[in-house]
Amino acid sequence: MIFNRGAFVHSLLRPFIALAALVVTTAMATWGGAAFAQAGAPWPKVSPITIVINQSPWFGGFSKVVEAYEKETGNKVTLDVNPFAGSGEKQRNSVRAKEGQFDILVMNSAWLAEFYHGGFLTPLNTIDASFRLDPQVMSYDDTGYWDATKKSNNAKTGVVYGVPINGNIQVLYYRSDLYEKAGLKVPQTWDELAANAKALNSPPNVYGMVQRGARSASDISYDWMPYLHSYNGAIFRDEKAGDFTVTINSPEARQALDMYVNLAKNSGPPNPGSYGQAQVIQALLTGKAAHATPVIAAWPQLDDATKSAVVGKVNVAVLPHGPGGRTTPTLGHFIGGIPNNIPKDRQVAALAFLRWFQSYDAQVKYAQTGQPPIRIDVYDAPFMKSPDYRWSRAILASLPNAKMMYTVPEGPQIASVLELRLNQAVLGEKTTADALNTAADEIHDIMQKAGYKTARLPALK
Amino acid sequence: MRAPPARADAIQVDRWRFYTLAPALAVYLLLALLPIVNLVVMSAHDIRWQQGAAQWTLVGLKHYTELPRDPLVRAGLANTTLFALLAVTAEMLIGFALALFVSRIVVGRVLYRTIFLLPILIPGIVIGAIWKLMYNPDFGIINQLFGLVGLAGFDWLGSGRLAFMSVIVVDIWHWTPFVFLLLLAGLESLPEDIHEAAMLDGASAWQELRRVTIPMMLPVIVVTLAFRLIVSFKVFDEVYLLTGGGPGTATEVLSFTIYRRFFTEDRMGYGSAISVVALFVLTLVIVLFMGMTRRRMHTN
Amino acid sequence: MESVRWHRVGMHAVLALGALIVVLPVVWIGFAAFKTQIALLRGDFLFTPYFGNFEELLFSKASDYPANFFNSLLVASGSTTMVLLIATLAAYSMYRLRWPSWVPALVLMGSLVFHMIPPITLVGPWYVMFRSIGWDNTYAALVLTHVALNLPIGIAVMSVFVRDIPLEIEEAARLDGCSTPQMLWRIVFPLVGPGLAATGILVFVFSWNEFAVALNLTSRQTATVPVAIAKFAQEYEIKNGVMAAGALLSVIPAILLLLFAQRHIVKGLTAGTGK
Repeated sequence: MIFNRGAFVHSLLRPFIALAALVVTTAMATWGGAAFAQAGAPWPKVSPITIVINQSPWFGGFSKVVEAYEKETGNKVTLDVNPFAGSGEKQRNSVRAKEGQFDILVMNSAWLAEFYHGGFLTPLNTIDASFRLDPQVMSYDDTGYWDATKKSNNAKTGVVYGVPINGNIQVLYYRSDLYEKAGLKVPQTWDELAANAKALNSPPNVYGMVQRGARSASDISYDWMPYLHSYNGAIFRDEKAGDFTVTINSPEARQALDMYVNLAKNSGPPNPGSYGQAQVIQALLTGKAAHATPVIAAWPQLDDATKSAVVGKVNVAVLPHGPGGRTTPTLGHFIGGIPNNIPKDRQVAALAFLRWFQSYDAQVKYAQTGQPPIRIDVYDAPFMKSPDYRWSRAILASLPNAKMMYTVPEGPQIASVLELRLNQAVLGEKTTADALNTAADEIHDIMQKAGYKTARLPALK
Repeated sequence: MRAPPARADAIQVDRWRFYTLAPALAVYLLLALLPIVNLVVMSAHDIRWQQGAAQWTLVGLKHYTELPRDPLVRAGLANTTLFALLAVTAEMLIGFALALFVSRIVVGRVLYRTIFLLPILIPGIVIGAIWKLMYNPDFGIINQLFGLVGLAGFDWLGSGRLAFMSVIVVDIWHWTPFVFLLLLAGLESLPEDIHEAAMLDGASAWQELRRVTIPMMLPVIVVTLAFRLIVSFKVFDEVYLLTGGGPGTATEVLSFTIYRRFFTEDRMGYGSAISVVALFVLTLVIVLFMGMTRRRMHTN
Repeated sequence: MESVRWHRVGMHAVLALGALIVVLPVVWIGFAAFKTQIALLRGDFLFTPYFGNFEELLFSKASDYPANFFNSLLVASGSTTMVLLIATLAAYSMYRLRWPSWVPALVLMGSLVFHMIPPITLVGPWYVMFRSIGWDNTYAALVLTHVALNLPIGIAVMSVFVRDIPLEIEEAARLDGCSTPQMLWRIVFPLVGPGLAATGILVFVFSWNEFAVALNLTSRQTATVPVAIAKFAQEYEIKNGVMAAGALLSVIPAILLLLFAQRHIVKGLTAGTGK
């Protein structure tokens, strides 16, 4: 055979080109993949999704994290941002329609029970059987789990339905500068708090304690729950076991309400009944409150010079407890769930985001925007030790005991009753015993009509 | 006497009779009828959601019998009626006076018209938020002004009766422009010579008002009053941001109760029943009122 | 009996007082737009102007204010035009085109009853309706619902003005062989100018400020100004400064529109009252 140089080169060149192409492509893929992925796991390409969420102080942090997700994975996320009440309304409309508009629902504890009981959410394992909530992610009273037969949030008997998005709970805000001046110690019990509040109370410049005494969808009842629970009281005898005997008018509850009302009387502003959440936070910001118990989400305002007159002068501690009780903040958190009524590819995409969100690196990014991360291990990161994050110790200590205010769809009705009766107690329109007895009657009525197993305690004298 | 219209004319008028009314009827049939029917039907049911689907259970008049025992509904009905009467009366009087004066002056007409319309241009939530700040007992501008002239400030939104009046003040500030606008339009379409004739006749201002202006303005006044009453029964924005219905139930108004029951507590059946009852009461008020004024207008 | 004359000075005094009471809170809102949150909360009289509110309103991540403004303009203009047209036609039809008297009575009564229903109970059915035809995030849905919400007052007010048109003018035109469309175009609409102006302003403003329906029937692209502003009334912080900035930016064009429109109203008046 004549040596055909052209043919020889050609026949050699082709595989060579093929090989070169292969090498280059692999290199690009690996480099490209490495550039987009975190150390370790490659993130899959999925459909674009829409997350429905409300505007809030922590929204800025969340949207930064979403941007990081988009950059890292190349997946598209649209944020539908709404006013707080509006977000719940839109979510409700969407899940009740034939096909949903939104792919991840950021649900507040206020309407979480409604969505679980309504059967609108899909168990995350039906999308991906291998999905697990990372063990480092905090429990939040098991609200990420749901047992559809027993109808309760139970990590042991239920399956995972959602990933926590924001762990909002109440803490004790206090004026550290005034504490230093007066040589006070951080209170452990409500009695100690009452004493400190009295000491710092000098109206009208500073009120010892400012509470959310107003009546609304959720103000005074939410504010009072930590008192109730930390005195070992409760609305129902044993919600998790299905025993809805109304215990709101127990002697323990009365003690808790007496403490609340006396704090208002002795160290509070003259009109405690008109202080809603925003007003309480305003009182802190303008320096009028020596103590208050809003949620941690209010924290970023306090160190912002355009919003606060007390920059650097406020610190945060775990809530006090009653005698023989434990500190029990109420959960005001958000869970990210996936609805049933959207196509499978969007469900897969939504789960991909949630899976990314619960990872360590994502949570570090989240914490660095000033928000409490949902993973315990992030709290040990070095940057959490700086004074900007001085809230983190209190949050970490508080979260294990945090409780949901209610876990039934009748929750908002119960809240409505408590809001009215507690408000009347704090205004002095009713005695604490009377307020609690009336509330017990009305709550019993609600639960009976709704068909729960319920009973009543004898009236308080 | 005029000859009867030609046949072609009559047919044409008949056709146009339908064409011109049809759009309005279409809007009402498509967009208004369905929700009204839906509301009434819902009020006779209990609606629960389970496994992603709605379950309607017929309960007949159960919700309606529950209504009288609901403390919020009782307070809401009483407060709303009182609120409507007080606020609307004030707004009608003030609005009429302003419209009357603006229609009589020459200098500054356009300026005054624009200024007096400002409050309704501002969204309800902004009005609620800003007045809440102004009413603040510690930092609000109202108490600051009181302090300047040596008076002690009040807790405008803190105590029952006062909170109620404070909310009415905000409503008056917000809605008088509505009355002003309609009554001014009515005044400006009155024939000019009537006013001159009255002046020439030597009528005093009061006489002219009573015998001439008001009777001629009656249709506009009636419409304005009716709509203002209806809208005041729906008052929501101001209450939402100012007081949330408190303190206690001092400023609880019907639309707020409906919002609370229907939406926040997700009791659509019960909330619908409250709406239907409110509708009934209001319709009764309006019908009685219309009946009275119709008689008045006929005797004129 | 003492006779009361029309005292020019007295009237001006009352009007000036009224204007002051009206304007003070508006000016306060104007200042609030330039204050920091803490300056607002503390009620500071003296303050250094702060532009962060406008920045947050116009340029932050979650904000689309210019788009919202445009959306509001579109929806409000659209619904106002439709209401004025439909309402005047209906009013003329009912009172001048020989319907039996129960027809206008029924329509008016129905309008009033419909007007009494709190919008929040209407939103649910409307959302379901529009979603089922895929219109839930469109301008069309919002414009139509706003037309429905404002048609009652449109019909009621235009009825008053239509009935005020002297019958002789109409009869003369009919004798001249005027058809109904010509009648409407040449006589009715011009003569009800003041009514159109008043109704137009009201409907525009109501549509512009409408919140409950707009919230549920819009998404990010179609959201209107009130929805944007409401986002700043948050649970933990009512961003008064930003809300004031939003209100200011939406009120100024409205004022300019009003001043401009009033010139036309005056012109229309002098033309129309040649009765």
